[in-house]
Amino acid sequence: MSTLITSRPPPRHAGGSRTIAWLRANLFSTPLNIGLTLLAAALIYGAGSAVFQWLAVDGQWRGTGPEACPDKGAFCWPFIRARFDQFMYGLYPADQRWRLNLGVGLGLLLAVPMFLPRVRHKGWLALGLAIAWLAIGVLLFRGGFFGLPTIETSLWGGFFLTIVAAVFVLGTALPVAVLLALGRQAEAPLVRSVCALWIELWRSVPALVLLFVAIVMFPLFMPPGVEIDKLLRALIALTILMSSYLAEAIRGALQSIPKGQYEAADALGMSYWQRTRLVILPQALPVALPQITSNFIGLFKETTVLLIIGLFDLLGMVTTAASDPQWLSIGTTATGYVFAAVFFWIFCFSFSRYTAYLERKTTQGQRQMEL
Amino acid sequence: MRRTWIYQALLLAAIVAALGLIVSATNANLSRLGVETSIDFLWRRAGFEISQSLIPFNANSTIARAFVVALLNTLVLAAAAIVGASVLGLIVGTARLSRNWLVSQLATTYVELFRNIPSLLQIFFWYLVVLRSLPGFRDSLSLGEAARLNNRGLYLAAPEIMTGGGWIAAGFVVAIAAIIGLARWARHRRLVSGRAFPVTVTAIALLVAVPWLAALLGGAALDWDVPQAGRFGYEGGIVIMPEFMALVAGLSVYNATYIGEIVRSGFAAIPRGQVEAADALGLSRWLSFRLVLFPQALRVIIPPLTTVYLNLFKATSLAAAIAYPEIVSVFVGTVNNLVGQPVIIMGITLIIYVLVSLAIAVFMNWYNRRIALTRA
Repeated sequence: MSTLITSRPPPRHAGGSRTIAWLRANLFSTPLNIGLTLLAAALIYGAGSAVFQWLAVDGQWRGTGPEACPDKGAFCWPFIRARFDQFMYGLYPADQRWRLNLGVGLGLLLAVPMFLPRVRHKGWLALGLAIAWLAIGVLLFRGGFFGLPTIETSLWGGFFLTIVAAVFVLGTALPVAVLLALGRQAEAPLVRSVCALWIELWRSVPALVLLFVAIVMFPLFMPPGVEIDKLLRALIALTILMSSYLAEAIRGALQSIPKGQYEAADALGMSYWQRTRLVILPQALPVALPQITSNFIGLFKETTVLLIIGLFDLLGMVTTAASDPQWLSIGTTATGYVFAAVFFWIFCFSFSRYTAYLERKTTQGQRQMEL
Repeated sequence: MRRTWIYQALLLAAIVAALGLIVSATNANLSRLGVETSIDFLWRRAGFEISQSLIPFNANSTIARAFVVALLNTLVLAAAAIVGASVLGLIVGTARLSRNWLVSQLATTYVELFRNIPSLLQIFFWYLVVLRSLPGFRDSLSLGEAARLNNRGLYLAAPEIMTGGGWIAAGFVVAIAAIIGLARWARHRRLVSGRAFPVTVTAIALLVAVPWLAALLGGAALDWDVPQAGRFGYEGGIVIMPEFMALVAGLSVYNATYIGEIVRSGFAAIPRGQVEAADALGLSRWLSFRLVLFPQALRVIIPPLTTVYLNLFKATSLAAAIAYPEIVSVFVGTVNNLVGQPVIIMGITLIIYVLVSLAIAVFMNWYNRRIALTRA
């Protein structure tokens, strides 16, 4: 003898609409929560109104020249407008700047196939791309061929220098890092310990110190009469540093390759290099990719230290421009740094989104393999 | 197998050859420049001043002493920035996990904003914009006579012990001994009877009260060296340079974004059952945080935190950009220009960075082992 109880309607929200219920649950659930909400709101209001006041109310968006910014503390767009070309191209001669635009555009265009999923033989493609980029750098940026005047690297600067440094260092550090990571796992004890020592040494030294080694010591290491360009020396120093960081990232990926893969390759009678090139690296590099891009973001930010040794990247150009007595004021200094910060932020944030996407992709791939 | 040996022999030969070439080229270059490499310059008179030193230093001190001053400046900067970044990072990391939507969004914004701006840029902004915008010497912000802040720095009153310093020191020794004993006794009592004892509060009370009582009994006199308004600025007391403040602020804000993410993932790694078990035992939210969640999160947090601390230590070299007298600006800048001994000076600099990095890594690994789960 059992009777079914008639089902009751689901409980209604405590008060009114969904929005209010959400607000109650997320912002005003306990006295502590109410306090935190008010504190956060006060912070947002304080920062927001200060930024608005500085940018829009006191800030100067129109006009040209230093006279346009009478308020010495506020935002000053005319400063950016006057110096924009320097921020981008450094001291590169104005009538030759088309070469940089052309070169960077061409370089980006050539890199597109690397990001298309269907394209095969990416290893060879990467090699070709590296050669093409090097050619662009030497023939177009530096010049001296085909009637183009030579522009010494001491005139390179601004955001252009940031890009050149980041791309050059990544391109040269990656192959070195692969060799170092393989060396650190090699059977031969001497190879292993030399690679480990080299990696750990440079990982424990700041970039700035290594740059000073490149500037002060490197000329002493060279036979008399041999002089290497200052920019190239600095970039080699950053390459040494970056390759040590990347080697660790790649080592992690190498360790994630199951032992059976090595054994299968050996069973097929492959030599060490065949095994590495055809079996191990094609699996390890995609796993290391998120780490590589996040290291690249670090490198992108790290290039700013070049200004300390007198190579003026974007931040260096902003600092020089802001100390120009014609413009000198706290407002223009702040404007310059905010501009540079926004610039760096856009690039680094996009890269970090890309890294997150890669990470999701690799973990998804792994999950599929487990099934 | 034999091939491996051939490779190793080739590598060894290449290394020896490269080193030999470098050494001979360096010797040739140095003798051409008329530089005789030796460490005698360390005992010469420095002849320059350093704007911040923890130990007495003037132009008549030796260059070796300048090295020590610079090293101490680096270590103080690193320590202050590590503490600042850790506190800020812990706040940001826990705020990101907050159930309060506004708070967690604010913390996310903080992380995404400051992580993607180069730290050198942030240091410049603090130094050349924020601290320069502070009022001048005449209108200093002040907290009574104890602290004054203007665009030349932060001036703090410094305690000066006139007499009976020994009594105060003795008081500290007694207090610390008492705290160690207390901690042991409290632990023993907790293990035996299950009753807890508020050790932290008692320890702080002891640390304040015992030296104070000792000073009263011994008749010690404490005087405050208060910054006095001079003709051009404040004099006396403890002066904290704007360079130092800018570096601590910039490095803390930047690295706190990384620490915040580490803290967040540390707490996210704790199984949900742990929180529920703590709730079921009737622990308050604070107690469950302190006794259940934090100790478990710490195990996940420590290894990546070590990397951040090492990066932060290396980043103190950015101080050279705004002329804070740390290792790079004093050694590689001032001293190398003065004596022209690049080989020795770069060598010392490299060794110091490697040794301190190693020390941090060893300490953090030791701490990590100490808090790791041990099978009973």
